[in-house]
Amino acid sequence: MRGVRRAFGTVQALDGVTFDARPGAVTALVGPNGCGKTTLLLVLAGLLVPDSGEARVAGLDPVTQGPSARARTGWMPDAFGTWDSLTAREVLTTFAAAYRMPGGRSRARVDELLATVHLSEYAQRPASVLSRGQKQRLGLARALVHEPQVLLLDEPASGLDPRSRVDLRLLLRRLADEGCTVLVSSHVLTELEEMCDDAVFLSRGRTIDAPAGGFGSAPGDSRRTYHVRALSFATLTGWLTSVGAAWRPDDEAAATVGDPPGAGGVHLEVAGDEGAATLVRDAVAAGVPLVSIAPATGALERAYLALEEERR
Amino acid sequence: MTTTLDESPSTETTRARDVWGLSAHGVRTVAALELRQRVRSTRWVVALIVWVVVIGAITVLISGAIGQLFGTSDSSLSDEHGALLYSAVVFLVLGLGLLVTPTLSSTSVNGDRAAGTLATLQVTLLTPAEIAFGKVLASWVAACAFLVASTPFLAFAIATGSTPWVSLLRVVLIVSLLLASVCAIGLGMSALVARGAGSTVLTFVVVAATTFLAPLLFGLTYPAVSHDEQVQVWSMPASWTGEGDMTCEWTTQQRSVGHTERTWWLLAINPFVITADGAGTPASSSQGASDGDALGGLRDVVRQVRSGPTAGLNECWNDPDSFPSQDAVTAPVWPWGLAANLLLGAAGLVVAIRRLTVPRRTLPRGTRVA
Repeated sequence: MRGVRRAFGTVQALDGVTFDARPGAVTALVGPNGCGKTTLLLVLAGLLVPDSGEARVAGLDPVTQGPSARARTGWMPDAFGTWDSLTAREVLTTFAAAYRMPGGRSRARVDELLATVHLSEYAQRPASVLSRGQKQRLGLARALVHEPQVLLLDEPASGLDPRSRVDLRLLLRRLADEGCTVLVSSHVLTELEEMCDDAVFLSRGRTIDAPAGGFGSAPGDSRRTYHVRALSFATLTGWLTSVGAAWRPDDEAAATVGDPPGAGGVHLEVAGDEGAATLVRDAVAAGVPLVSIAPATGALERAYLALEEERR
Repeated sequence: MTTTLDESPSTETTRARDVWGLSAHGVRTVAALELRQRVRSTRWVVALIVWVVVIGAITVLISGAIGQLFGTSDSSLSDEHGALLYSAVVFLVLGLGLLVTPTLSSTSVNGDRAAGTLATLQVTLLTPAEIAFGKVLASWVAACAFLVASTPFLAFAIATGSTPWVSLLRVVLIVSLLLASVCAIGLGMSALVARGAGSTVLTFVVVAATTFLAPLLFGLTYPAVSHDEQVQVWSMPASWTGEGDMTCEWTTQQRSVGHTERTWWLLAINPFVITADGAGTPASSSQGASDGDALGGLRDVVRQVRSGPTAGLNECWNDPDSFPSQDAVTAPVWPWGLAANLLLGAAGLVVAIRRLTVPRRTLPRGTRVA
């Protein structure tokens, strides 16, 4: 996607969006409400013509090669309706037909998808009796009917129970591993972080480079941010500085309840689990009173908040 | 432009095919989706039952009223009564059909958009034309269900009189085509207007325009097309005193002549006129339709209106039969009216297809893609 712009009247919804989403990876689309995530996905899904710039989906232009691009794209909107009187199976069968799948193949595909999203037992029930989360899962299955190469999901996890979120994560992971390009938008960052490889930050219709130390390291690069806490912040930082490690204090304003005074934690880059093991061994040997060491969470959140600060 | 088989270039022809391409499979998919969604909602079944009850009750009432008003079980009158009953039921079915049908399709696009189900269809490989035709087909099938539910009463009316059975076939065909165009107009309106209430009202306005407004305009423009002209009048001689024999003769007189041949089309687009003219009820005598046959009566009037003023006026009051007979006016009006209605429907379809085309460059006010 290169320099895509799109305005609605005087509202510039997209103002120069440029990014690539790799095949075989799950890419997160992150940004505040109204930053243009949905508009961006509409352009990619082939529903809106960008005012300028160009978009490519699976190498095809959704504007000039609409049907070919749409045949390779699965889109799940954030707010979508269901045909209340149709059963879950009929909805999927209809869409298989709408993508011109032959009857025999579509039946097998529909059964497979219903099992994938755990709706097999609801296959004969009208969509109106499905709960919000179940409808969401049906919507996901609908987007997957034609085995798209590119999957565009707008807030797919909203309304899902924890179990379904895990399923969604595993499903997206599997699809990405099968070579699918997955673009997921959400503003629930912890949830995105669990499932995505890359992140694209969107603010006021513009893509923003991920801040330094932020999210978006390529797979293969095994360096990760770890959160290390010790009873004595001073001892920890002193030792880290002495061994030449680059550390940053964690942003936790208040110490965790029950911590003795002087305790604290840092973030630092560690070369994978082996690096972490080495760190633990060396730190304990050096007499640092370690409390915990764990892969840092909330990296997306920190990156996101950093963006917000830049904006102010 | 060269014809190439690769699918990359965005030539005009491939673009047109993407939008206007039609396949039976695609239309059937959309229509099945719409019908399932609609038929399973119980309201629709209730509406159908109410319809049958209303038509049935009114048919029985009309039949009873005709018997009461014109009395007697005289068999010579039963043909007349049958023709009158048939006319009444045809107009009733048509009138109620025109009332019900706009609601069947006039929210099909903006309603789907509001429900969030339209965009998910648009991103599939269905072309806009397939979506539009599928929707029209679904609402037309629903409208035809109402029509089919009324055929027993039409058949009953025919059975009581001497109207030929072919008339039933003609009426059902013509009314179904009229309802198809109303469906298509409703679809066009629903694609044009963001709100369901607005598009329903506009569809009713179009139907009312052809049903009421056009005949009203015909009446109001009548003075404008009337001029004083010299016309041939088959009149009684001025010398005739009122006694004895007399022979009428041609005279030239100044008369106001209505040139309805210029405004006949205002009547012709009226669905009732189309149905009456196309119903094919028999012309019993040289004077036209038999008594009681309102359909035939309307047909004769409209055909007269279309041909405009006749070459001569018959004012030989004392001996009207002496008027040199002129060719009966037989040119049918209904093909024109039906074609005009179908054209309106086609316009609705075209509007809908254009509005359903993705990706969109401009959005209608107050709408979201999804």
